[in-house]
Amino acid sequence: MVTFLNIFIGGLLMGGIYALVAAGLSIQYGVGRVLNIAHGEFLMVGALITWYLFTIYGISPLISLILIAFVFFFFGFLLDRSLFSRLRNISPSVAAFEANSLMACFGLQFVIQNIAIVIWGAELKGFSYMASPVNILGALFGANRLITLAYSLGIAGIFYLFLTKTRYGKAIRAASQDIFAANLMGINIKFVLSLCFAFGALLAGTAGALISMMYSIHTTMGMEYTVIALIVIVLGGLGSITGSMLGGLILGIVGSIVSYLEPGLTLVAYYMLFMILLLVRPTGLMGRGS
Amino acid sequence: MKIGAQFKFFKVVWCFLLVVILFVPICVFGKDKIVIGQAWPLSGPVAAAAKISGGTIYEMWVKEVNKAGGIYVKEFGKKLPVEHKIYDNESDIGKTTKLLEKLILEDKVDFVLPPWGTAWLYAAATICNKYGYILIGGPGGAAKLKELDLPYFFQVLNFSETQGPALAQIYKEIGVKTAAVLHRGDLHGIEYGSAIAPHFKEAGIEVKMMKSFPPDATKDFTPLLKEAKGLGVDAFVVACYPHETIAITEQAIATGINFNAMWMSVGPYDPVIYRDTFGASVVEGVMGGGAWNAKTSKGAAELVRLHKEYFKAEPDYWGALYYWSSLQHFQQAIEKAGTLNQKAVRDVLATAKFQTALGTYYYDKRRFLAKECHPGEIGQWQKGVFEVVDVGPKRTAKPLYPKPSWPKKK
Repeated sequence: MVTFLNIFIGGLLMGGIYALVAAGLSIQYGVGRVLNIAHGEFLMVGALITWYLFTIYGISPLISLILIAFVFFFFGFLLDRSLFSRLRNISPSVAAFEANSLMACFGLQFVIQNIAIVIWGAELKGFSYMASPVNILGALFGANRLITLAYSLGIAGIFYLFLTKTRYGKAIRAASQDIFAANLMGINIKFVLSLCFAFGALLAGTAGALISMMYSIHTTMGMEYTVIALIVIVLGGLGSITGSMLGGLILGIVGSIVSYLEPGLTLVAYYMLFMILLLVRPTGLMGRGS
Repeated sequence: MKIGAQFKFFKVVWCFLLVVILFVPICVFGKDKIVIGQAWPLSGPVAAAAKISGGTIYEMWVKEVNKAGGIYVKEFGKKLPVEHKIYDNESDIGKTTKLLEKLILEDKVDFVLPPWGTAWLYAAATICNKYGYILIGGPGGAAKLKELDLPYFFQVLNFSETQGPALAQIYKEIGVKTAAVLHRGDLHGIEYGSAIAPHFKEAGIEVKMMKSFPPDATKDFTPLLKEAKGLGVDAFVVACYPHETIAITEQAIATGINFNAMWMSVGPYDPVIYRDTFGASVVEGVMGGGAWNAKTSKGAAELVRLHKEYFKAEPDYWGALYYWSSLQHFQQAIEKAGTLNQKAVRDVLATAKFQTALGTYYYDKRRFLAKECHPGEIGQWQKGVFEVVDVGPKRTAKPLYPKPSWPKKK
């Protein structure tokens, strides 16, 4: 029983982190068609701000989380309005916009990373917060990981309610299905797209804040998390927040099972899963067909 | 004068001027600096680790040499300042070899310094040897390099070859009976894994668990920690890099899993990123690869003082003293050779004994830093000091066993 709990809850905890990292990118690409390669850099900045506020001013990462959520939402909104909105206007087609925005994101990635290196340097950093064991039916888990899982599930729930119960949520869903039709139906598409990018930035920043409580962080860590996010959103289905959550959790549980059997094969298991899914269901777990 | 003849005259004048511009300064003033190139990870997965373990030492050495006016080279009859030319290898082994070839063939640097990490060093050693360039090793080391026996390669840092037996000796002394041995799935991890297990067996320590994990990609170590705990092992031994060391420690604390002895190869030695991240009382009793401290020698104490002056932080307590001393030895070898010729300097490096911060420094017949010169192999955090706990005269404190439990956190 304890072994089962260790594998299952341990997998959920890891999956919660993966899901959180991927959700932001999923919404940015799924609705706004911005394949934000700089997604991991937003996460990195969120992590380093949390580290800085904790080590210099003693501010709890949970308070920083709220602060980062507001700042990143605002920054993401402004970034979409200033950069991607303009790219959308000058791009002759959606495909051209995707290519242009991808290039812009590559640039953004280098700009953010280099500014971060100038501010914080390239050294490894870390701090320990809420690293205390919690006993669940005899199996021990870190409190900071349980908080991350709770936050991931909480944010997924909030987003689900937002997308299904509010007018803006419906507008976002409409835009993700057909951006032109949504525009014709009178939806303020520019606002909706900026909102999506802002939510993506918020999720990346807060994921960074939570990750900083558990792992060492540094200014060049962004790409590592972007790759995780890309794998998860392809697994879950492009543009589906629920799919990202599901994809993240499945990846976490598979990783946990394989780690118990033979840790050296964890990466092999991830990519096997990835390949099988692409063969069986190319649109991802919750993705729509073309 | 005809136009053709005029053109020919101007061509000759231009050629003459070009020769004067290019060669006169060299003839009149000679060489004005020693250019030393390095392909170092400024970005990528190992950049952050490289910065804390090794990076500051090379930077500080160049500044200190230049502060003293440079290195005296008899051939030029004066002291030459050092220019440190660094290219970013992006933590990529392939890029490292290309950049080294660029430094040697295109930039024609006078010497090269090593990259960071065992696998990178392995690749760089063969490249430098191919072009007859001296490569004094830095962060990293592998027994496989000994097998290659490259005449221009000098191994500086101690590694599994001497740390494996030292750890087994310590464990035997303190009464460790069983152990779990884990390692990264790369050259560093595989060498440590295969070097440690036989020494443990020899010392009567049963290895109950032996597993590898994917390097750099493993985030969750709790299954491994729980499995080892479930087996009831006395010692948890991991060959890993700093980001993994931090993750393992954090996850052990978070799950409340403690072992009587805990050793990780790369990472615990760092006072800033390891001790200060968790707190001195939290890491009390954790062991790691190393090792030295300010008590090791006068030169070691001076290195700590200097590093604090430059970077407002203590140096790492494994490689810093090794690299620093290797550079002091290198500088004296150039001065003794009186030339920048690779072969001449190499011959002095291979045979000469010089006084350095760690004491008398020399290489053995295979050009590996002589074992007798090592300041220590295994360190353990005790009251904020990374004590050398090797069995024998290099010990600065007795090993603390069993390791105290992780303190209750807020």
